[in-house]
Amino acid sequence: MWKSLTKNDNSEMVIALAGQPNCGKSTIFNAVAGFKVNTGNFSGTTVSYTETEVYIGGRTVRLIDLPGTYSISANDVAERVARDYLLSGQVDVIINVVDSSLLSRSLELTLQLMEMNVPMVIGLNMIDDAQKKGMEIDIPALTSLTGLEAYPLIAVQGSGVHELFDAALKVSENSFHRVPPVYDRDVEECIARIEARYPSTLKERLRVDTRFVIIRLLEMDEEFEKLVSEVDGDFLEYVVENRRFLAEVHDWPESGVFASHRHALVLDLFEQVVAVRSRTGTSLSEKIDRFVINPVGGLAATVGVFFLMFAVSFWFGNLIAGLVEAPLESLGAFLMSHTSGYTAMLVSGVYDGFTAGVGIVLPYLVPLLVILSLLEDTGLLPRIAFMADGLLHRFGLHGKSVVPIIMGYGCNVPAIMAARNLEYERDRIITMLMVPFIACSARTVIILALAGKYLGAGYTTLIYLGNIAIALGVSSVFSRLSADVSPGIIMDVPPLRKPYLHVVMRKVWVRIQEFLLFAWPVIAISSIALAVFSYVGIDDVINRVLSPITTFILGLPSDLGITLFLGIFRKELTLIMLNSALNTTDVSTVLSSAQLLVLVVFTVLYIPCVATISTLWKEGGLKVALLSIALNTSIALVVAGSLAFLL
Amino acid sequence: MTLLELKEGDTAVISRVSGGKGVSARMAGLGLHAGKKVRVVRAAPFRGPLLIEDISSGARTMIGRGIASHVEILNEKR
Ligand SMILES: Nc1nc2c(ncn2[C@@H]2O[C@H](COP(=O)(O)OP(=O)(O)OP(=O)(O)O)[C@@H](O)[C@H]2O)c(=O)[nH]1
Ligand SMILES: [Mg+2]
Repeated sequence: MWKSLTKNDNSEMVIALAGQPNCGKSTIFNAVAGFKVNTGNFSGTTVSYTETEVYIGGRTVRLIDLPGTYSISANDVAERVARDYLLSGQVDVIINVVDSSLLSRSLELTLQLMEMNVPMVIGLNMIDDAQKKGMEIDIPALTSLTGLEAYPLIAVQGSGVHELFDAALKVSENSFHRVPPVYDRDVEECIARIEARYPSTLKERLRVDTRFVIIRLLEMDEEFEKLVSEVDGDFLEYVVENRRFLAEVHDWPESGVFASHRHALVLDLFEQVVAVRSRTGTSLSEKIDRFVINPVGGLAATVGVFFLMFAVSFWFGNLIAGLVEAPLESLGAFLMSHTSGYTAMLVSGVYDGFTAGVGIVLPYLVPLLVILSLLEDTGLLPRIAFMADGLLHRFGLHGKSVVPIIMGYGCNVPAIMAARNLEYERDRIITMLMVPFIACSARTVIILALAGKYLGAGYTTLIYLGNIAIALGVSSVFSRLSADVSPGIIMDVPPLRKPYLHVVMRKVWVRIQEFLLFAWPVIAISSIALAVFSYVGIDDVINRVLSPITTFILGLPSDLGITLFLGIFRKELTLIMLNSALNTTDVSTVLSSAQLLVLVVFTVLYIPCVATISTLWKEGGLKVALLSIALNTSIALVVAGSLAFLL
Repeated sequence: MTLLELKEGDTAVISRVSGGKGVSARMAGLGLHAGKKVRVVRAAPFRGPLLIEDISSGARTMIGRGIASHVEILNEKR
């Protein structure tokens, strides 16, 4: 598996950003590579690695943004991604990013990375926060004690990033002189004993620093144990004997005895490099935080945020949609009067797609994205998790699922991936099955543009509440079916941070770009396809096939079959194709209020879109994907069908 | 005595984290080792988690009640 920890050929240099969660790795990545990956003020924003080529210091290097990990012995799927990459033998230089304001905790990982003996520099990020805490870091002392160069940074403002990368390039060229961590005498003796018996077969098989391998074994790293047992079982037994001995002597559990010694080293190092001045006063963000972590304040903040999210999107969306309606209509009239036959069909397809984007989707999408981005950047997500944990327990989940659930209101795809932060498979699967019920931005546009506009705020709120209730019901049923119970939440709560306008704008822009580049063409093509279909008569076939569902169960016009079918590809399509399918500019003249409600409820709940299904498949396997399709579709049919029956 | 028995505002020193390798590794990752002095900042409503502050660094972590009951502590004082 791991032939060696660094590669020996002269292909492109690989620099990996490694560090604990939420220390600013992705922010640094974006500062160098342009805005490519998402950032946010909570642990676990990044759950998969991203690589990009950057041109720095006169050469091209491959830069890798990794998920955060508290230690090399990864504890969840996202951390495993980081571990596997670091151990893959592809990395030439590690930039160990640390949150300077949490230096003692961060150094635990730094020492582990140092044990790998791969060229490395330290990026002391969030030096602004450290200063606010009254911390003074003696950087020359840190360098002389570890042999690693360290550079102060405020990544979110872009300061210090250049110096850090220059140093990273240099450390790979010149030889690398780390000062390897030296442990207590009895630990060192234990390592020496094991090293003396280190089999040469293992050295050939694993061209990795032997001391690193021994330390991994002393830390009960299962993967290394398995690898070593395949090569030399007796050696592994000898290591285990020594590990037990160490644990007994120190009266410590076998799994933690080595870490406890490293912890002692870290404390020692920390004391030598950090001086803390006492600080005065309470900052504004701390005052806000005190309010937010109060039961009353927290509840008010949570409810307020949700209210704001949908109310602002609705209000702003309606405003803009109303403003652009007239100009778009006159453009349409102009186009229709100047084209005929096939060209008219094409032009009207393109026109419909364009109108849908500008007039329907973007006005509602943009404010929603802004608010979601603010939620991510301020650090409110972990606080909502704190407030909601107790309630979620009643539905068999815990607070950590709040992050995927709220991200789901933006898009289900990253939300399902965010479930990688859950330590237990059971929690991860239940969360993955729950997320597709959350009304993503596409479905929110549908809710706001149909229910909000024609049925009013009351029904819209009911739809959202019903939606959440169904999602919680699903979680509750599955957690009862599952044999194990979740041990509960352990989650970092970073300080509240002020959001940066440029970050929010870039984040929103990336999502809009995605809409313009991928969704818009799909919409335009679908519009044209629909025009062609209706010209040739294929839409009739689809409508007739689906009519048992549309007319019999849901009591809707059979013409809607095609729009529901297209909605599987992109949920927005259902809304956008509505007018052309029904041949009207105002759906309320064709559909009754009851029918509109049934349509919205069904669209919100039925089959997840193609992108969501494929993500479920990748993250949870085919079974989870199929289960999710079956679950969503059957619940949609039952709920929307009963509404149609009752109303 | 365990962390769970503390009230808001109480401080204590962690003496041992039991409850399985996963739990203690996670706690250690967040800097909550034996010997660490912590303060209970707040207990969440509806039997939710405890918000724990590491006194030396000011770092905050939420810990579910089930896990808190596996964290043994020493010399509680207000
Ligand atoms: N005050 C301050 N905030 C920063 C700094 N650098 C980044 N941030 C903020 O810290 C938060 C975390 O940044 P990310 O880049 O997402 O952190 P990460 O290390 O990629 O986190 P994970 O992907 O969760 O491991 C974001 O809200 C950033 O805006 C800094 O130097 N100072
Ligand atoms: Mg990241």
